[in-house]
Amino acid sequence: METTTLDNPLRSGLRIGRTPEPYTMVIFGATGDLTSRKLVPALYNLARERRLPGGFSVVGFARREWDDAFFRQTLLDGVNANSRSGAVEPALWESFAQGIFYHRGSFDEPAAYAALAEQLAKIDAERGTGGNRVFYLATPPESYPEIIRQLGAHGLGHAPSGGSTRIIVEKPFGRDLESAKSLNQQLLAVFDEEQIFRIDHYLGKETVQNILVLRFVNSIFEPLWDRRHVDHVQITVAESIGVEDRGGYYDSSGATRDMIQNHLTQLLCLVAMEPPVVYDADAVRDEKVKVLRAIQPITPEDVAQYTLRGQYSAGSVSGRPINGYRGERGVAAASQTETYVALKLFVNSWRWAGVPFYLRSGKALPRRVSEIAVQFKTVPTMLFADTPMNAIEPNVLTIKIQPDEGISLKVGSKVPGQAQIRPVTMDFRYGTSFGVASPEAYERLLLDCMLGDGTLFTRRDEVEASWSLITPIHQGWDAGPAQPFPNYEAGTWGPAAADEFMARDGRAWRRL
Amino acid sequence: MTTAHAVDIGAIERELRQLWKENAAEAGGQAVTRALTLNLVARATDSATADMISAVVQQLTASHPNRTVLAVVQAAAEPWLEAYVQANCLLPSRGAPQVCGEQITINARGAAVGQVASLVLPLLVPDLPVVLWLPGPAPLDDPLLGRLRGVLDRLIVDSRSFTDPAAGLLQLATFDAAEHSGPGNGPQAPALSDLAWTGLTPWRELTAQFFDTRPLLPYLHRIDRAEISYVPADGKPNPLEGLLIAGWLAACLGWSPLSDGISVQGDTLRLHLRRAAVGVGPSATRPVTVEISPLLPNHPQITQIAQMAEQPGLAALHLRAVDGVTADFSVVRADEPGYALTTAQVAGQAPVRRLARCEQPGLADLLAAELRLLSRDRTFGAALKMASAFAAHLE
Repeated sequence: METTTLDNPLRSGLRIGRTPEPYTMVIFGATGDLTSRKLVPALYNLARERRLPGGFSVVGFARREWDDAFFRQTLLDGVNANSRSGAVEPALWESFAQGIFYHRGSFDEPAAYAALAEQLAKIDAERGTGGNRVFYLATPPESYPEIIRQLGAHGLGHAPSGGSTRIIVEKPFGRDLESAKSLNQQLLAVFDEEQIFRIDHYLGKETVQNILVLRFVNSIFEPLWDRRHVDHVQITVAESIGVEDRGGYYDSSGATRDMIQNHLTQLLCLVAMEPPVVYDADAVRDEKVKVLRAIQPITPEDVAQYTLRGQYSAGSVSGRPINGYRGERGVAAASQTETYVALKLFVNSWRWAGVPFYLRSGKALPRRVSEIAVQFKTVPTMLFADTPMNAIEPNVLTIKIQPDEGISLKVGSKVPGQAQIRPVTMDFRYGTSFGVASPEAYERLLLDCMLGDGTLFTRRDEVEASWSLITPIHQGWDAGPAQPFPNYEAGTWGPAAADEFMARDGRAWRRL
Repeated sequence: MTTAHAVDIGAIERELRQLWKENAAEAGGQAVTRALTLNLVARATDSATADMISAVVQQLTASHPNRTVLAVVQAAAEPWLEAYVQANCLLPSRGAPQVCGEQITINARGAAVGQVASLVLPLLVPDLPVVLWLPGPAPLDDPLLGRLRGVLDRLIVDSRSFTDPAAGLLQLATFDAAEHSGPGNGPQAPALSDLAWTGLTPWRELTAQFFDTRPLLPYLHRIDRAEISYVPADGKPNPLEGLLIAGWLAACLGWSPLSDGISVQGDTLRLHLRRAAVGVGPSATRPVTVEISPLLPNHPQITQIAQMAEQPGLAALHLRAVDGVTADFSVVRADEPGYALTTAQVAGQAPVRRLARCEQPGLADLLAAELRLLSRDRTFGAALKMASAFAAHLE
């Protein structure tokens, strides 16, 4: 009788999870910034923490005339500069770098893919990677279709000899509903949906994952998490930098495509979704898609009422001068691209009907901060006569995503010796309660992909549902009058109209 | 650090409150966070151990801010009892609040030693786990354990410091099985942590990892031979860590000891077990041998690698399958301290090698790892039970 099972009996009781199969990760656009700033530092730290198996390999695919030695040195410099664990441990890097190779080729050159297939087969034989491949699209999005087509044409869409093949697609995933659908079709012509991992690095952040833990592990919040108790929700992702050297890309994109369509929409889904029946990739994503479908679309005619845009002029953030957006390289002189956007959305479900979700995101704001604030309704009547009703601040539960990851709850409390009531904040910070550095988002996501867990990746219907909310907004803006841009100074909290946007609902943005 | 000679519980708590006020004042209005996640009771029998415990507790504040009650008990003709309080604070990092834990040190000598437990109980912060750390050679005979057993969530010992490892393992296994009746037994029995086991975690991870690769998993069920070698501390062979690793492999892989389960040749132990034979019918078995041997100073590997002699502990673990296809999996400490070379070699295929971290964690790291555990470590329980069965043959 065969006694072998699929489970590794030596895993039981070990605190770190299963190690993935040995993969070869092929990074397209490997000479770019993302590879040396994020991807390879994440892979090195995974190796350092014994999360990767022996044999794991990296192949960088790009046009430049580099070789293995130069590629390895470039990545070493990148890891030394960007790794959360500091400079590399030389012995460890040396072993890790033996599995790093450079493959020169143009993305539209068939011979380069034939040579890639040969190189991958060689790595399989020499390093025991058993036909397992992850293709990582880290190129400008214009190259995606060609790479996907060539992979398919060279039989690289499915692994030889029992291995598995996966593909990770970086943002932006399309620029509107039509292009996202078209990219999905191109991908699905070569790969199955289970092989496709659309990355949104926000979902790899520990605090973002903790939203579901907070909601579904604690019995005290969930009963309050609905239209009867919540007044409104504010989701803010503020960046303190300008567009820097991304002006060319950004000017054709804007804050809504760059941030709202992916990161803020994901945060909204996690806050608003129903508990999934189990914690697995499809159950979690089913619930998120339900939220997206329940969001009342902002039609082109309604954009003036439910959206607000801004663009920054020259100013300074934290004492550092910032050029005006229109003065940045690659930006049109009369650009109508928004660098700030605020939206008011309604989720038409039994749980949330009538509760506004205010989303805002912008560049060149005073601080880099991301948070979700759930503001509860105020008490119906004031019991303590010495404090006027309007002096009562409502309870706010804040989930801070960056920079100080944590959760805080604002409660009203009596001032000692006086009849006054003041808000106090109960703070829980990751850094002080666990004393362990959180892994980088990419570490978690790359590992999950190799383990075949798509929970923290965006599914096809999710990305299309999200674009179907965003695209009519752009249509409305494009059809409307030109905006009086720039309309906020770099280093301020967005256009003055953003405050009016909230004030007309009798609310205000949180001061961050 | 503030001193209080009168041993009065109210006074200790008052001193602590005063301490927090002073701390807050010193911080110049900056927030000082008193964050307590557990009660840690520790016992020292000499001042060197007390200093060691205090130093470790300081380091623990970062990951597990706690209230430590350190009992320093020493023999003396005259009874003597005194207590000190102090706050253990981390240097604040930029923008983060300063985190502090607190420590109460009780010095008891002579007849006063018997009063220590009665002093510890009211000092425990309510609704937080209570962990007792007993470093030293014979923790299970400690009277403090007897008195605190009913309130304990976890007992932490280090079997590497046992004078008689075989007898010690048997005693630990009995404690872990909680067979005695009385308060603190049964389901409420405290969980047991052995820092010797905690220190083996990198070895277990690196060994387990080979078999997460699906094509290699079948070999795990065909292992015929395991070789474990270690560098003895102070040149004195002590097979304890080897026995724990052997116990772990046997418990996880369903190897059962034969009746004449162990043979001893010099300092080398040979364990004889059997496992289910793969692919030849339900009742067929095959023998498995586990060899545990010290690398003594005259061993070629030791003389080549000077650092090894200075770092006692496991040096190499080999797993071999010869049943069917030959395969060999090894984790061997590398020349460079803190790393190991792992090799998976299956006949007819290129060997897969890599260097991995295999750190030798300090005491504070080992304790921190055990304090992260909330429940009983069942894998350790099973490994300990098996290791004590081997040790029974050595008695």
